[in-house]
Amino acid sequence: MISNFQDLSYRNTVVKCMCGALQHGGPDDEGIFSDAEAGLTFGHRRLAIIDLSSSGHQPMSDSDQKAWITFNGEIYNYLELKEELLKFGARFNSSSDTEVIIAAYLQWGIAAFAKLRGIFAFALYDKEKALTYLVRDSSGIKPIYYYAEDGQLSFASEVKALKAGGVAAETDPAWQIRFLAYGHIPEPYTTLKNVYSLPKGKFLCWNHRKASYDIHSYHVIFNESTIEDSITAKESIKKALGLAVHRQLIADAPIGVFLSGGIDSSLLTLLAEKERKTKLKTISIYFNEKTYDESRYQNLVLKQIRGEKFSHLVKQNDFEDFLPRIISDMDLPTTDGINTWCISKFAHDDGLKAVLSGLGADELFGGYPSFTRINYIKTARKYPSSLFKIANYSAFDAYRKIAFLTYNHPIADYLFLRGLYSPADISAILDVDITEVEDVLFANRKLPYVLNYDTQDAAWFEINLYMQNQLLRDTDVMGMSHGLEVRVPFLDEDFVRTAQRIKAAIRFDKSRPKKLLIDSFGDILPEAIWNRTKMGFTFPLQDWMKENKEITNESLYKRKRSRNIIKAFKNNSVHWSKAFALFQIQ
Amino acid sequence: MPKNILLFSLQTFSTTGGIQKMTRTMAHALFHISKDENWNFRLFSLYDTRYDLMSEYLPSENYTAFNNNRIKLGLTSMTKSSNSDIVILNHINFSLIGIVIKFLNPRCQMWLITHGIEVWRPLSFIKRIFLRDYCDKIICVSNFTREQMMARHQCHPDKCKVLNNAIDPFIKLPETFDKPEYLLNRYGLRHSSQVIFTLTRLASSEQYKGHEQVIKAVSGLKQAFPNIKYILSGQYDSIEEIRIRKLIEKYDVNNEVILTGFLDDNELSDHFLLADLFVLPSKKEGFGIVFVEALACGLPVICGNADGSTDAIKDGKLGTAIDVDDLNELQNTIVEYLNKPLTFEKRKHLQTECLLYFDENHYREKLHKLLIDEQTA
Repeated sequence: MISNFQDLSYRNTVVKCMCGALQHGGPDDEGIFSDAEAGLTFGHRRLAIIDLSSSGHQPMSDSDQKAWITFNGEIYNYLELKEELLKFGARFNSSSDTEVIIAAYLQWGIAAFAKLRGIFAFALYDKEKALTYLVRDSSGIKPIYYYAEDGQLSFASEVKALKAGGVAAETDPAWQIRFLAYGHIPEPYTTLKNVYSLPKGKFLCWNHRKASYDIHSYHVIFNESTIEDSITAKESIKKALGLAVHRQLIADAPIGVFLSGGIDSSLLTLLAEKERKTKLKTISIYFNEKTYDESRYQNLVLKQIRGEKFSHLVKQNDFEDFLPRIISDMDLPTTDGINTWCISKFAHDDGLKAVLSGLGADELFGGYPSFTRINYIKTARKYPSSLFKIANYSAFDAYRKIAFLTYNHPIADYLFLRGLYSPADISAILDVDITEVEDVLFANRKLPYVLNYDTQDAAWFEINLYMQNQLLRDTDVMGMSHGLEVRVPFLDEDFVRTAQRIKAAIRFDKSRPKKLLIDSFGDILPEAIWNRTKMGFTFPLQDWMKENKEITNESLYKRKRSRNIIKAFKNNSVHWSKAFALFQIQ
Repeated sequence: MPKNILLFSLQTFSTTGGIQKMTRTMAHALFHISKDENWNFRLFSLYDTRYDLMSEYLPSENYTAFNNNRIKLGLTSMTKSSNSDIVILNHINFSLIGIVIKFLNPRCQMWLITHGIEVWRPLSFIKRIFLRDYCDKIICVSNFTREQMMARHQCHPDKCKVLNNAIDPFIKLPETFDKPEYLLNRYGLRHSSQVIFTLTRLASSEQYKGHEQVIKAVSGLKQAFPNIKYILSGQYDSIEEIRIRKLIEKYDVNNEVILTGFLDDNELSDHFLLADLFVLPSKKEGFGIVFVEALACGLPVICGNADGSTDAIKDGKLGTAIDVDDLNELQNTIVEYLNKPLTFEKRKHLQTECLLYFDENHYREKLHKLLIDEQTA
């Protein structure tokens, strides 16, 4: 927290409250640092993974106390950077990655941010220049939320901390509209007014003297040519993913892999097995419901692994037990993340502090139906958009989303592919005017992009909207609720850059989803894993939620439209995510 | 009796190009003129939606978006235009609508804005008829476009007025002229780097922007100027990207040329500050708003001498126009600029001069005068 209006003891009390709200993600230690002159107080809850000793305590400074940091995440290349910094004469007091960030900043200034490879969000205070930076990793894996109003800046890893500290108490009246349309709260918004998430790959620079800030991207431009032949593409993918897995296995605490049985997690497991000197631990989930059970595929991979294999059966009654905790842990409303919450719980119970997850491969290599469905939008755009209003009258719930094509707006295109409720439905559910719904969803929401409705656009939507706002946020918050760090090798900076250099026709080869990835690792990936119908990491939630007495209790729902939707859900004609969304806004 | 002004635009807020920027500024100016004079003003934007509006330019009450619904635009135009005193069409593609409006409301004054290449070519029958019989005034964004209108389409000189485009009223105008640290980092530059900058849409279908010439020039200069860097910005399509990257390889300027792609509007001024020279040796700029934006940030410019760009540099007072096909001339002009260090005073002077000619107040005064003249005519 930075404020010249609040005294030191008040700031410290607020920051202590905020730390208390984040204890689940940092069970190992707590620290507070204050600079009375700068009006600054940093707080930190520690999840110790690298340098488990007390020398990794945070907030941390360099030995001359020129800069202070509070840091959440991991820097995978910290040893390489440390070696480089030692040559410049840097001195280190710990073996932590945190100290390397400070030294890198003192050596290279803001150019240091782009040298970091990892998952991170940190605040760094430069005492001499009277500047504080908030910095977020380039793939947006670790979140950081800030509130910058009236000459004060507050920030935290979860929104609930800002609420707990009383920093921002006012609710954003538009959150329910966004939530019902998206199924989550899209960045940069939150449920609180004037509380925003810092965009990925950006830094916020707070000037203490002026009590003002600006936000810029710290990315570095590389002059790299497009990879135009498939042999080079496969070789580059193989090399870059191997390096990413190698980097991300760095830890002084126990680390494992989430294994679902799909292509991505199987590939990571097999690559990690090759890399890891000690035996690799795997965490899997299976179900009694046969249509959701992937244990057959998991076993195909597990046969090749030497380490401990933790496999957990999840049943309807587990879901019933877990649901209240899942809802209280989600920080911001969401219709996903139940699966990550469960597997994170098991990983934590099995003694792990960090795991690798296969998230990101579908988005980078065209693994979703949206990569073909985007063609429908291209076709639809040839017709008058008002024609699609008719979808509002569809008796089939799944077709009502077509009404998004009425709006000539890229966000509407995305919501057609991935949205939950149509504007007309939201208007009826919340009893607000449809123009208000439209304004919240589409006004001031420009994309830095011109749409051609091709595979690259589908990838853009999936990476920057769905993965960013739904998958990554849920994964981080659900993992951290169990003190578990989820690492995502497919989103390694260098791997993503390599993938994005590959010509679209090769990267999104239409003959099979993720063909390039499969072909690149044809030598280690069993055919039975890639030559099968995609299932995704899905739970039998349609059945389980239908059995849940709270979600299906019609009297809980205030408006008739909501009650009708719940009724339809019980008849199986509405998807569980819609019922779950309604349940959360009551 | 209040004056009613209606401005028709194809696209105003949903994309950002020269014409769109010009329309935003014009709408902003017309809104304020109308407010001061107690007139009514409304902007009709065909391809935009209600949500595209950037409310700093115009309140929603003065804006109607048609979401690409031409029929709705046609019908609304017929009803709304019956009480319009001045109808301004911001593109020749509105000719048919112009004819219908003028037919229904002959007493209204029909203006057309002409920009560049859309009128520097043979026109369809409807457009020709519109120009000849239905258009009362042609507002040309540059003298070059005015000459084209007279020469190619035999428009009467009295009908053709020049109203140069203005600097976006919301552009962040620098005061200190320091090179932004975050951009030096992003592009791996030093304070000693000599940065040439081009910002333009890089479309494979529009091969007249001249960036290829600059790449060649940089290749020729890199020995004599070892700190030379060329930042080439603007949205590109994949065909053009591959073409440019091949050119970079061919001319061996991989260490000198930085291809950035799309630039966020928020970072525009900072890029002008980062650079030492703006070069866009284009052949077909109607006016070239980007030149006056660069100058407003104290950045010297080199432009082509065979299009509307010369108005933007006030016929040489603010910048240098060259023959874009003459690589030697381009190289020599770049050398002249790079040999003279760009001081704070020089930047400040350029900015002041540019604002004198092209700030929005100046534009608003000229536009106001045109509107008043119309009333008294």
